[in-house]
Amino acid sequence: MTRPRALALAAVVVLAVLPWVLVRYQLSILTDVLIFGLFALSLDLIMGYTGMVSFGHAAYFGLGAYGSALVLIHFGQPIPVALLAGALLAGVIAAPVGWFSTRATGIYFAMLTLAFAQLLYTVAYKWRDLTGGSDGIAGVPKTALFWGGPSLASPRAFYFVVAGAVVLSLVLCRALTRSPFGRALQAVRENERRFIALGRDPRPFKLVVFVIAAVFAGLAGALFAPFRGFASPEVMFWVLSGQGLMMVVVGGIGTLIGPIVGAMVFILVQEVLSSYTEHWMIFTGAIFVLMVIFLPGGLVGTARRLASRA
Amino acid sequence: MRRREFLATATVSGAALAVGAPVFLRRAYAQNPIKIGLPTVLSGGNAQYGIQAKRASELFAKDIKGKGILGRPVEFIYEDTGADPATAVRKAQKLVEKDGVKFLTGTVLSSEALAVSAKCPEWKVILMSTINGAGALTAKSFNRYFFRVNTSGPMGARAVSLYLAEGPMKRLFALGSDYAWGRDSVASFSAQIEAAKKEVVGKEYPPVGTKDFASYIAKVRQSKAEGVYLVLVGQDATIFLKQAHQFGLTKDVKPIMEIVELENMKAVGDAMEGTIGSSRYPFTVDTPKNHAFVKRFHDMHGVYPDMFDGETYEGLEWLAQVIQKAGTADDVEKVIEAWEDSSYEGLEGPFFMRKCDHQAVQPGFAVQAVKDPKYPHLIPKILATFPGDKVTPKCRTEEFS
Amino acid sequence: MPHGGILVAISLLLEQLLNALALAGLLFLVSAGLSLVFGILRVVNFAHGVFYMLGAYLGFTVVALTGWFWPALVIVPPVVGLVGAVLESSTLRFIYRRLPIYQLLLTFGLALILEESIRVLYGPTAKGVDPPPLLQGSIPLGAIVYPRYRLFLVVLGLVVGAAVWLFLKRTRTGLVIRAVAQNAEMADCLGADVARVRTLVFGAACALAGLGGVAAAPMTTAYLGMGIGVIVDAFVVVVIGGLGSIPGSMAGSLIVGAAQTWGAYYLPETAMVIMYAVMGAILIFRPWGLFGEEE
Repeated sequence: MTRPRALALAAVVVLAVLPWVLVRYQLSILTDVLIFGLFALSLDLIMGYTGMVSFGHAAYFGLGAYGSALVLIHFGQPIPVALLAGALLAGVIAAPVGWFSTRATGIYFAMLTLAFAQLLYTVAYKWRDLTGGSDGIAGVPKTALFWGGPSLASPRAFYFVVAGAVVLSLVLCRALTRSPFGRALQAVRENERRFIALGRDPRPFKLVVFVIAAVFAGLAGALFAPFRGFASPEVMFWVLSGQGLMMVVVGGIGTLIGPIVGAMVFILVQEVLSSYTEHWMIFTGAIFVLMVIFLPGGLVGTARRLASRA
Repeated sequence: MRRREFLATATVSGAALAVGAPVFLRRAYAQNPIKIGLPTVLSGGNAQYGIQAKRASELFAKDIKGKGILGRPVEFIYEDTGADPATAVRKAQKLVEKDGVKFLTGTVLSSEALAVSAKCPEWKVILMSTINGAGALTAKSFNRYFFRVNTSGPMGARAVSLYLAEGPMKRLFALGSDYAWGRDSVASFSAQIEAAKKEVVGKEYPPVGTKDFASYIAKVRQSKAEGVYLVLVGQDATIFLKQAHQFGLTKDVKPIMEIVELENMKAVGDAMEGTIGSSRYPFTVDTPKNHAFVKRFHDMHGVYPDMFDGETYEGLEWLAQVIQKAGTADDVEKVIEAWEDSSYEGLEGPFFMRKCDHQAVQPGFAVQAVKDPKYPHLIPKILATFPGDKVTPKCRTEEFS
Repeated sequence: MPHGGILVAISLLLEQLLNALALAGLLFLVSAGLSLVFGILRVVNFAHGVFYMLGAYLGFTVVALTGWFWPALVIVPPVVGLVGAVLESSTLRFIYRRLPIYQLLLTFGLALILEESIRVLYGPTAKGVDPPPLLQGSIPLGAIVYPRYRLFLVVLGLVVGAAVWLFLKRTRTGLVIRAVAQNAEMADCLGADVARVRTLVFGAACALAGLGGVAAAPMTTAYLGMGIGVIVDAFVVVVIGGLGSIPGSMAGSLIVGAAQTWGAYYLPETAMVIMYAVMGAILIFRPWGLFGEEE
């Protein structure tokens, strides 16, 4: 068995065993980390593999959360149905948004994604009858694994659903980036002009990856709603998009596993710092600024660089 | 190779230790204390409310030092939610699962309270609201682990409506921030004031965070209203009052606020003189108990208690009494039972905790912002006090009989 | 009064027009700096709103210390500009060669630090600032009275806009700045101190934002979170007007100011949505804005 594969297997084993090692509170944090890690991972698909920066990615997380929340509260369907609903809703909305957004490049693309995300946020905020408006939808239940199946209400059971979804997504994304499609994406990132000069149109590729990334972000949101028990407009707000970008950069752009590490660092640093001081934002900002300057490859990117030198 | 695995393990262990460490630090100096957790807002634009919850808790901690509750010391744990419901739930979960807290309070946004409240049955902890006004918390979204000690939004609107119903003003304009509280309160107010045969000549909903109210001020003026009912987020209310004064609107149209806060008075200054409205807790209530509280509060914090300072203190005092009565701070069910249908003599007057929806029935106040040379800012003078049963809605609803 | 109805109608129109202009003046002060930083440094400065907030709070301090408002207008912008320049030269300077995302995220981190520092210094409550006696009160205009301070904002916006534009177009330093904006490497070869130009521009942009904050304080008070509130507006203005163009920022401010003022009057619920739609349309069909340069 190759080294990376052995490591990956070890990681999966560790993930499977942790629920019995960790205390309840630590398990909650881990579940949180995995959900946001998935969100950051989906953002890395766009950023790391096509070089596009999206300021509006939180919108798809939010759509996933609302989709899943509505299905669970109003129809009481099993969790996988809710996950599917959330992910699909995100993907369906991402298609026209992506179509418009990918007509622009660089900073204009970023601002366009922001404009669309703010639009969606405003809709969520004002459509009180459907979304609960600024109060959001609370009391979202954790239902069952399948119709008539075991309940997923216990923290451990739900953790396995989350961990399973995240591992599966990681595997799929990795496969995607290694496929011919993935290689085309990287060609677009490396030198878009040459790509065009070679007679190929980058737009369909960008659009497809945009939608795929939105689907995975929606999946993360769909996991979030039953985990935390609610969905509210804040989960669509651009501040979350910014945090996602931070997680990707801290973990390492283009590494796929990096963003998950970035999510862990981001959440843990906040948790730990805010227990010690009210002014944790200053430290978080400072750490972040230092990381951007000195460790542009992120934690995983830098680790890989160091390892390949060793 | 081995180095990478080592680094990975070290990072994970280090992180785990760092996450767990504060628990050990805290356990070192506490002997079986009763813990009260406050997932409140200590940063950002809403921090002025979280600060009030914290100040009241600090005074209460000082007042109860030595005695404790049931002979046990009381420990307050503060967490910053940044006015984000996701963070609020995460922090509340941390307080419950890691710190073993059984009593939560200090939630600022109604959306935070709704999210945390929905989790309380699962965690089996009590959430005591001392700030949240959303009617739904004791109506549509009620669950028995939630208790509201403060005057709710509908109750505040009710107090204002009762006062205006007897007054001379006939034409009123309503301006509510475009979100749950603003819309609900304007609706509640409109229904009641129209039942009192007055006219609502206009309703507008400026977005939360509006910095320029010029257009709304123009509309209010054109409507020839005699009074404008304001249900605006704290900072928006401050900005509106300042700008309305600059446009000379406040000379012709009387501002009426669903909540009249000291925060507004300090930031707006004299431009707000004469404003009437409701206050959840006016520090000028004339009882010996309240005067003593105000003095202790001012001595400790150097400022006079604002609405949520008072409400939070009352909540904590009542909770302490109820725990004492139940004889336990660990069996939450017993505390719930002890609290339901119990009475409490608060700073503002008599409180009664209704069993049917866990809303505390309490007096409502109509106040006016007046100048008083004894104080460095305007103060809320009480114009009328309404008994609890007149201002509290019917059980589990937001309607009044 | 004869023709009372018409007088009222005209007065209202005039009032709305002035409201739009005053708001535009304020928006211009805030967005001009953002536009410059983007046009010349190619950096999206997420901390821009926090410099605006810093200006408002420092304005409050100056007024509280001296009792006068006018000194604040003069003292605060350079101070804020200095803070910006120091931050730029100690952090941003090192990463210009990197992908834009890094610069953007760095400014995001700086924003967090600055915002929390302001809260540490000033506490969580809003700080009121009164306009100077000369600008207090209102003047009668037909059937209505109009606040003097807002008229001042209109004038201030125009004056500052003209000053900045003239500086860029007519002075030598302005020429160097524009050269760096067009082609930094070439300008460097021609002897321009590119690093210093960048610091100057960033500092100047922050100073403008700070000026905006001081100017806004009497109208909105100084409060936490005012930066976040204004930065989205600033982005819309800059996109519409054109990144890097001062006339563009003016045009954008007028459009957004008018849209928000009349939008709040006729369609308060949908005003923002319309703004985002306009912003989106411009980004799709004419991303360089009305006055920007096609890349």
